[in-house]
Amino acid sequence: MISHSTLKKLTSPLIVFSIFVFLYLPIIVLIVYSFNSRSFPAPWKTFTFEWYIALFAHGTLWISFFNSFIVAFASTFLCFFMSMCMLFFLFIGGKIEKQLSLFYLNLVIPEAVLAVGLLAYFSLLHIPLGIVTVIFSHVVIGLGFIVPALYARFVQIDPRLTEASYVLGASSLQTFNKVIFPLLKPVLLSTSLMIFMISFDDFILSYFCAGTSFQTLSLFLANSLRNGISPVVNALATILIIATGCVTSFIFISSRKHKTRVFAHD
Amino acid sequence: MMEQEVVLSPGSSAPALPRFSGVQRFLKLEFLSALGLLPFIWQSLFFFIPMLLLFSMSFIDNSSGTLRFTISHFTQLFSTTYLSIILNSVGLSLLTTLITLCIAFPFSFISIFHFSKYKNIISLFLLIPFWTNFILHIYAWFFVLEKNGFLNQVLMHFGFITEPLAFLNNFFSIMVMMIYYYLPFMILPIYSTLERFDSSIFEASMDLGANRFQTLLKVVIPLCIGGIRTGIFLVFIPSFAEFLIPELMGGDKYFFMGNVISLYMFEEKTLGTAVAFTTLSLAVVLMIVYFIQKGLVLFTRRLTRGVRT
Repeated sequence: MISHSTLKKLTSPLIVFSIFVFLYLPIIVLIVYSFNSRSFPAPWKTFTFEWYIALFAHGTLWISFFNSFIVAFASTFLCFFMSMCMLFFLFIGGKIEKQLSLFYLNLVIPEAVLAVGLLAYFSLLHIPLGIVTVIFSHVVIGLGFIVPALYARFVQIDPRLTEASYVLGASSLQTFNKVIFPLLKPVLLSTSLMIFMISFDDFILSYFCAGTSFQTLSLFLANSLRNGISPVVNALATILIIATGCVTSFIFISSRKHKTRVFAHD
Repeated sequence: MMEQEVVLSPGSSAPALPRFSGVQRFLKLEFLSALGLLPFIWQSLFFFIPMLLLFSMSFIDNSSGTLRFTISHFTQLFSTTYLSIILNSVGLSLLTTLITLCIAFPFSFISIFHFSKYKNIISLFLLIPFWTNFILHIYAWFFVLEKNGFLNQVLMHFGFITEPLAFLNNFFSIMVMMIYYYLPFMILPIYSTLERFDSSIFEASMDLGANRFQTLLKVVIPLCIGGIRTGIFLVFIPSFAEFLIPELMGGDKYFFMGNVISLYMFEEKTLGTAVAFTTLSLAVVLMIVYFIQKGLVLFTRRLTRGVRT
């Protein structure tokens, strides 16, 4: 019989452990079945790589994959470019406090509602649905992340740093390049990566704004799910999960490193 | 490059502004202010105008070729079918929020105070499912809940059941999927709020004579109410308009707000009804968000009543 005190000691690890089991069990089962030589409803047979080989021969899947990649890259780039413009504007003394309140509503409006609004808007303006409309909608979401984050970090910058840079003879451009930009690089990098991942994984906005001829990876996955389970998707899922794990660890480690460096600097 | 026209501003904390001369200054500043406002122009063009359009379109009837004001889109929604769908959606998202909160708060609390050594690794492993494509999560749960899936096989192996149970295509599978998908959205804000506090605050509270329960109510919850609020909004708002999970896990039996919107948008092609229904759902969301916000403020005030800060 387990005594009362050991039981008490065991409860907290058990709770944490069971939550992680809940979070990771389906992912592990999914990965295991990508190596099964027989398609899913059948039990485990033998180990195989054939689904991975089939994955690389799958045409429509790769088209949708690259579509997603292009959409994510373009929307990240647009967000990055616009926020850099805003940053330079702030640097030369522009004020955006009032305009910033434009972004407050992004948090409380469900994505599906925005998607319906955008779809109605695009059809009113006769903009053909496709890659452009998907990118435009993703940029709206991305800006909602990058603009407030960048502004919050910019305000924290000690004004004496820029002053010191001028005193030491740097021009405005040099000050921007060597002082302001390096200080904001971590937040720019992590939010850009975040926007890339949000855009790459987005389903709702793409579903409404993509039209009939354009397909992103999420739309492809949702369609294939409606048609049932295919081990090729398991192989893709395994690769995507590993890639997501790598990118997440990278963002995580870089953001932690940055935090310690800032404290040491201050 | 070395034009030294530096103005130091002694005693003021305003940043020293870069100096440009004459025409150069005018060109740069005017041009850059226009470019610098690009994010806000984009936000207005692709967020506010569509939202206003959504709102106005739900009151406009253009079936006869001319635009006229109407509330017919709304009146046709006031039937028991639609009202029950709205109530179901509210119930589903509130239930998801409540269950994820009940799991997330103890989890974050325990993992911060008992496993603070592994803080980094725990947050990393929470972030990975958070960032994985959410359709893959649904896909993964099929393998667990299917008739020959993992759960049935485990239960049969240990002799709990003799016949495989139908876990899929019912309310149970919808709920499991909703909780699974939204749990990281609830945990992460609460976890990162708690992470910031030094555990000595709680020791101090215990030293000053509060018991565990009082410490929890008067110190821990008021301190991390910000994280709890963010978590509630991050779960409640998107789960309200969720339509892929009920569609794929519920097997066409369950209709929620998101499903109705997508049905009217793509199957029925009745834009007016879809838009009116979306406006209505948005109104319901905003109303509930407002009440949650008010309720949380009152709740914290009541908890910290008599506590001097």
